Amino acid sequence: MKAISVKNLTYSYDEHHIAIDDISFDIMQGSYVSIIGPNGSGKSTLAKLIDGLISSNKGEIKIFDTTLDRKNVNKLRQRIGIVFQNPDNQFISSTVEDDIAFGLENQNVDPALMKDIVLEYAKKVKMSDYLDKEPSNLSGGQKQRVAIAGVLALNRDIIIFDEATSMLDPKGREDIRNLIKQLRKSNPNLTMLSITHDIEEAYLSDYVIILNKGKIVKQGNHDEIFSNLDELKSLGFETPFFATIKEKLQKRGYDLKNINNIEELINKLCQLM
Amino acid sequence: MDSISFGRYVNYDSFIHRLDARNKILLLIALMIMIFMPFSTWSTSLIFSLLYFIILMILMGVSHCSFKSFFKGILSMWFLLLFLIIMFIFIPNPSLSSVPLYTFNESYTIYWDGIYQAAYIFLRLILMMSLTLILTSTTKPLDLTYALEWYMYPLNIINFPSHTIAMMISIALRFIPTILDEAKRIMKAQESRGVDFSRGGLFKKVKAIISLIIPLFVSAFDRSQQLSDAMEARGYDPNSKRSRYRKLKFHLKDLISALIILPIVAFIMYLSIAQNDLDIIYTLFKVEVGF
Ligand SMILES: Nc1ncnc2c1ncn2[C@@H]1O[C@H](COP(=O)(O)OP(=O)(O)OP(=O)(O)O)[C@@H](O)[C@H]1O
Ligand SMILES: [Mg+2]
Repeated sequence: MKAISVKNLTYSYDEHHIAIDDISFDIMQGSYVSIIGPNGSGKSTLAKLIDGLISSNKGEIKIFDTTLDRKNVNKLRQRIGIVFQNPDNQFISSTVEDDIAFGLENQNVDPALMKDIVLEYAKKVKMSDYLDKEPSNLSGGQKQRVAIAGVLALNRDIIIFDEATSMLDPKGREDIRNLIKQLRKSNPNLTMLSITHDIEEAYLSDYVIILNKGKIVKQGNHDEIFSNLDELKSLGFETPFFATIKEKLQKRGYDLKNINNIEELINKLCQLM
Repeated sequence: MDSISFGRYVNYDSFIHRLDARNKILLLIALMIMIFMPFSTWSTSLIFSLLYFIILMILMGVSHCSFKSFFKGILSMWFLLLFLIIMFIFIPNPSLSSVPLYTFNESYTIYWDGIYQAAYIFLRLILMMSLTLILTSTTKPLDLTYALEWYMYPLNIINFPSHTIAMMISIALRFIPTILDEAKRIMKAQESRGVDFSRGGLFKKVKAIISLIIPLFVSAFDRSQQLSDAMEARGYDPNSKRSRYRKLKFHLKDLISALIILPIVAFIMYLSIAQNDLDIIYTLFKVEVGF
């Protein structure tokens, strides 16, 4: 089933400038998709369009086969969770626990259950020691973890991360990556859409969409995108560490067809030596 | 900027912290009324005010309010104090039958009454300040807004948007520190570009302030857009039913504190209204102080 289907979508904030230019793609339920692209390429705009925060009359967006329109936007939005770029401007309540609870309150969740849910997700993002802290006493990365917890707690079918880990340190990113892995394992139907500048993060996804100036310059599944590193480089991206090594070794004549991660690569190299 | 720290919530667990916010608002209003009950003898009014002052100082100590920010707050009112003194001392109220203090040129008289009155008004102001300080230092802003919303609830009958107003207040409270931080950052950035916020004539000052205000407003509008996106994305709809994470709870201690304070307030109101010419010093010590 298609979780998100976008057809010929076009959007502009003002007449002179097209932010999204005739974009089409499909995202299958349960997949993990990355959107990469330089600053101003329209990634955040696309995320807002999908969540119905802004709407376009050119093109079509379908969420689980239902066309998004003015009337059903509130209903469809309940299936999508989105973590935005700026952690300060999505911290709505005045303490960590209240902020994680904000979305639950909107869903009219029983207050008796709320405390446990809040604690559970605060623990997942390692913020359970800060429950009564105010945003002004938190670092950017900590605020971002709170935003992530607030969205994950809603248990949505589609989760969009708009550079949600950009403020985190490498360890923090690793934590969130593992958390996503774990969530996807426990719920194989969870669809992840991750907007990122981190090519290593994009490397973990099943499908990659590359945006530039509002247009899709390339899209394809993991292998299609990462088997041609020169093209990736020519589009202005760095290349993932593992893919780079693998490619260089292959160019030297090593057969590494079924090697998919660093451990397997090391094992293989040890065998060969 | 530091004066903003006046009234910030103090994270401490005192008896007053644990009272229900709604109860605290009720008691605050009752105590404010009490503070404003006048007596016709100055000595009595002043003695009562001093008594309130001592009690409130003790309460401030108990609830770990910041005395430093309290005194800073009072000091920042020096202009008001000066104004009051001038008002009441040099423009005496002729209807008062009052003892003269000093006469200039045998034509213009200053009366003791003016001084009492200025002192009384200033004392009341300080009392009001310490009362509000106790409330805001011991109550989380969110609890305060919930309590306000609770009090506004009956107004829903006339379609008064009590929830929206409470939400607006809580977001404003949430963003005050953030926007202050931003203002500091912009000031630093502008200073590094040669804008001087502390010196220069009026024109220069106005220009400097404009260089602060405009970016501040631009970013505030940007923030509000992003915030409303974030709220919508998490399913916020002011018109639909929401549950509450934080529940205000009226405990036994709330009942007890209300049962102690409200009768005292009532008694003082009775004294003020029915026994308005009460002279507390004469009643207690049989000494005539004469004011
Ligand atoms: N609220 C707005 N009003 C007008 N133009 C906007 C607005 N938001 C974005 N734009 C413009 O739309 C284009 C796409 O912006 P968008 O924020 O979607 O880019 P992005 O890919 O998310 O960039 P970044 O990597 O910096 O987050 C940019 O040219 C930007 O200037
Ligand atoms: Mg963006």
